[in-house]
Amino acid sequence: MNIITKIKNIFSEEVVDVEKLSQDDVVDDIKNITSEVDESNKPFSEPEPVIRQVIRVPALSDDIFPPNDENKVLIKAQPSGSSDQCLFMLNRPLFLDHSWWFPNFESAENSPLAERLFSLDDVASVLVNESTITVTRKDKNTYDWKPLASDVGIALRELLIEGGELISKKIISEMPSQDEIQEGIQKAINEEVNPGVAGHGGLITLEKIKGNTITIKMGGGCQGCSSADLTLKEGIHGSFRKFVPQIGAIFDETDHAAGLNPYF
Amino acid sequence: MPKLNKFKIYIETGSNGIEEPARFCFNSHVLPLEDLSGGTKPGETLEGGYDINSVAHSMTLVGPEKGTWSVKKIKVDFEVENTPSYSVEYSAVELDETTELNIWKDPPLETFDV
Repeated sequence: MNIITKIKNIFSEEVVDVEKLSQDDVVDDIKNITSEVDESNKPFSEPEPVIRQVIRVPALSDDIFPPNDENKVLIKAQPSGSSDQCLFMLNRPLFLDHSWWFPNFESAENSPLAERLFSLDDVASVLVNESTITVTRKDKNTYDWKPLASDVGIALRELLIEGGELISKKIISEMPSQDEIQEGIQKAINEEVNPGVAGHGGLITLEKIKGNTITIKMGGGCQGCSSADLTLKEGIHGSFRKFVPQIGAIFDETDHAAGLNPYF
Repeated sequence: MPKLNKFKIYIETGSNGIEEPARFCFNSHVLPLEDLSGGTKPGETLEGGYDINSVAHSMTLVGPEKGTWSVKKIKVDFEVENTPSYSVEYSAVELDETTELNIWKDPPLETFDV
């Protein structure tokens, strides 16, 4: 007899002979009761949420320059969020399909574009990438880019109107092939970068190469880590340039907001 | 991370529509769009939005539970605290029960002519 039936019988004032409740009765009743529990009513038995793949399509952006002003040199400046760098976008190529990093004045030798920019006070480094230039300033305590940006704009406009070469012929003639760059960067990743970030559960992969411009992705503990930017600039950049000195711009296409297990 | 006050979204459906309500995912919370008008049948445009009032880490348009949703075009109008309103447009994409589309974009940086 089911225990519940027996209890019901108690409340229905039927006489229950407790002595007749054998151990087997109790075991059978418990089995029956537990098998009747509806799984969907369990508070912690919800199915695991489905982890969907997040698709990223590029945002459609309007052209930043009007189409009918091709004869004019148009330049837009965009200071970075941290204000230590400023991106200059031009309506014409400066170094087609390639990029070059000028870390100091000495590296600008025979490249008129960089020489002219380093002649301005407060320019610490220059990165030329196709039709853009990123200038890093020396003074990290100044947030207003308009005075320096204006000087950069004047210098660029004068150079482009004068015509002539912008980047040293030596740089262009000694540019390694894309395959050589890929091989060198992969070697840097395998031998130096990934062993270095492995201790934090990180993993760096080479995503794309265009000319001497490379794009990487940071995975594992690096994805979403608060120090990822520092790791990229202080560690990965140095390793890559040590293995392939002709490397230009290095981009990180990691979706850090989607990191599931960042180091910190 | 910026605080998103509210957003409005316009979703133009291509050849494959959906019957179920359109949902979005904000900071890993799946929510239905509010203030809806239009539809998600082929050729229709759905307008909806949500008063978020929270710091944005991620925001996606969630694919349907069944079938395929071919989205022809998406436009999102963002109202972010202390930032001028801005809009972002995305091109065609197909969504299903295994996918979601990133629709979050940080406010654009200030740009000026030099």
